[in-house]
Amino acid sequence: MSSVKLRDVRKSFGHVEVIKGVDLDIEDKEFVVFVGPSGCGKTTLLRMIAGLETITAGNLDIGGERMNEVDPSKRGIAMVFQSYALYPHMTVRENMGFALRFARVPKDEIARQVNEAARILALDPLLDRYPKQLSGGQRQRVAIGRAIVRDPEVFLFDEPLSNLDAELRVHMRIELARLHKELKTTIVYVTHDQVEAMTLADKIVVMRDGIIEQAGRPLDLYDDPANQFVAGFIGSPKMNFLAATIVEKAAGNVTLELANHGRARLTLPLTGGTVGEAVTLGVRAEHFGEAGAGGADISLDIDVAEHLGSTSYVYASAGGEALVVEREESRHENGRSHIVVSIDPERAYLFDSQGQRIR
Amino acid sequence: MVAEVETSGSMQDRRRGGAASNLARSEQINGWLFIMPALVLLGIFMVYPILWSLWMSFQVGRGMNFSFGGFANIIRLTQDPVFIRALSNTLLFLAVQVPIMLMLALLFASALNDSKLWGRGFFRTAIFLPCVTSLVAYSVIFKSIFALDGIANQALLALQLIENPINWLSDPFWARVVVISAITWRWTGYNMIFYLAAMQNIDRSIYEAAKIDGVPTWARFWFITVPMLKPVILFTAVTSTIGTLQLFDEVNLLTNGGPSDATLTLSLYIYNLSFRFMPSFGYAATVSYVIVILVGVLSLIQFLIARDRRR
Repeated sequence: MSSVKLRDVRKSFGHVEVIKGVDLDIEDKEFVVFVGPSGCGKTTLLRMIAGLETITAGNLDIGGERMNEVDPSKRGIAMVFQSYALYPHMTVRENMGFALRFARVPKDEIARQVNEAARILALDPLLDRYPKQLSGGQRQRVAIGRAIVRDPEVFLFDEPLSNLDAELRVHMRIELARLHKELKTTIVYVTHDQVEAMTLADKIVVMRDGIIEQAGRPLDLYDDPANQFVAGFIGSPKMNFLAATIVEKAAGNVTLELANHGRARLTLPLTGGTVGEAVTLGVRAEHFGEAGAGGADISLDIDVAEHLGSTSYVYASAGGEALVVEREESRHENGRSHIVVSIDPERAYLFDSQGQRIR
Repeated sequence: MVAEVETSGSMQDRRRGGAASNLARSEQINGWLFIMPALVLLGIFMVYPILWSLWMSFQVGRGMNFSFGGFANIIRLTQDPVFIRALSNTLLFLAVQVPIMLMLALLFASALNDSKLWGRGFFRTAIFLPCVTSLVAYSVIFKSIFALDGIANQALLALQLIENPINWLSDPFWARVVVISAITWRWTGYNMIFYLAAMQNIDRSIYEAAKIDGVPTWARFWFITVPMLKPVILFTAVTSTIGTLQLFDEVNLLTNGGPSDATLTLSLYIYNLSFRFMPSFGYAATVSYVIVILVGVLSLIQFLIARDRRR
């Protein structure tokens, strides 16, 4: 059993509270990704699980045992750092086997475990090299190998891919997903890259300012964000936000007027909200429809179009509001200065002035 | 047409080549002119004395009356009990003091590198301060501390660690202890600063990784900190070795080489030979070359020991 439970966990540095009460259940063998903008407390929370930061208040359980005061080495965890944290004066083999020497593991057993980890990570030919003779991706694999050798119940990853170039990052992402399948252990992973979060996670934890904004499966967060922050953070390109006012309410229906789009009206199948309330309409770039497809049609001036081949992103604006629209047929629209698209009421989200979802 | 172009082209090249070599020559002359003042000063005050002392080391005689004596001075070295005494004292100071000082510096540095240590700014300053204090002032204070009725004896008597006061400066053994303590006190902080600077360049997450992996504190120090500081340790070992081989001020001010030459060092002996006894500049120069050779040999040995075995 290697589940991790956090109950009202808090952390203060002096008078500044950086983790403001976190409740989270991480199941056995789950791949959980903490994601959020820099300074949101995700790395601090990970370091608290690792035991590198003390827990000011609350309860941390790993494998059903309270771990608040337990030494980092006795929590059954292993951590991979952003800077790799390899010992520069030791070979790859020594780096991976170093910690086992102090756990009174016999020499031939250390060699066996190091070789096994090297096999999993395809490090065999590099075992006698020094870290400075390795590329960034290879160093990262050694750091992961050093964690694997300890056979931990929970792996902690602190932004492990952010020092790698874009191509290598994609490659290592796939490697990590494969590794999780092979090792079948719990993984807690911190990143600020929502693409990494979406592709790797069983469960994404979106954090902001020391609290959890929403936790759930990647597609649940994408389909059903709890608030405007999560809606804007998950998904690429970012969700478009349009200023609107509620002008009419009927049973199960809310009618909006879009201020910056010629007072176009749109009726959403929602029950919340009050007439006259200023709200924000959220529409993803990929959810705009062809003009006349139903809902509301809005006319946009095209600023720039990016053609990626299979799809295109049109950066457009109207009434001072910048929007991104994904268009599959955009290559035929070269030279046009404006487009008309429709908003599908079934695929639009409504947020109140506090950023909370209106359902 | 083509040939013509080629000819004119090669002529141009030659002309340009001539201009280029003129330019290079004037740049070289300018360069030499710029460094000439420094070179002249170095020549007069460094190179000339070194060569002159080498020549002097083959001269015998008293005062300014000297004549070429071949290897007479080197033969005199082997038969001079005071030189042997000074050499063995110097090597003793080196063998005892340098390792103690460097180990202390390393321990202080790693203690003061801990960001959770209370008052570490104060301790850092306190430990570094001795090497910027006035040499004479600190010698006077050390002399008074280790006087027969000084604070050292009073404290030891009060703690009942000794029954009778120790004759610090007139007992051969304790005089050496005082000299070694004095130079250790003065230079530990200086070496510590190098270690601290190097430690602050070590990525903190390396220690955190070791901590999570269950590497005990002593092992983190011995297997991570020390190997990563190896180049700095080598540097401080070489500079400290040179410093101790040239040890002069402390012994001159504290014990004046006494009692009965127990703390006489090579440098002090050179000074005595030149300025205190009947001047024997030639022999003094020979002794100073002994220091040069010792420094060279010991530094080479340290470099060989510290050399990276992986290359």
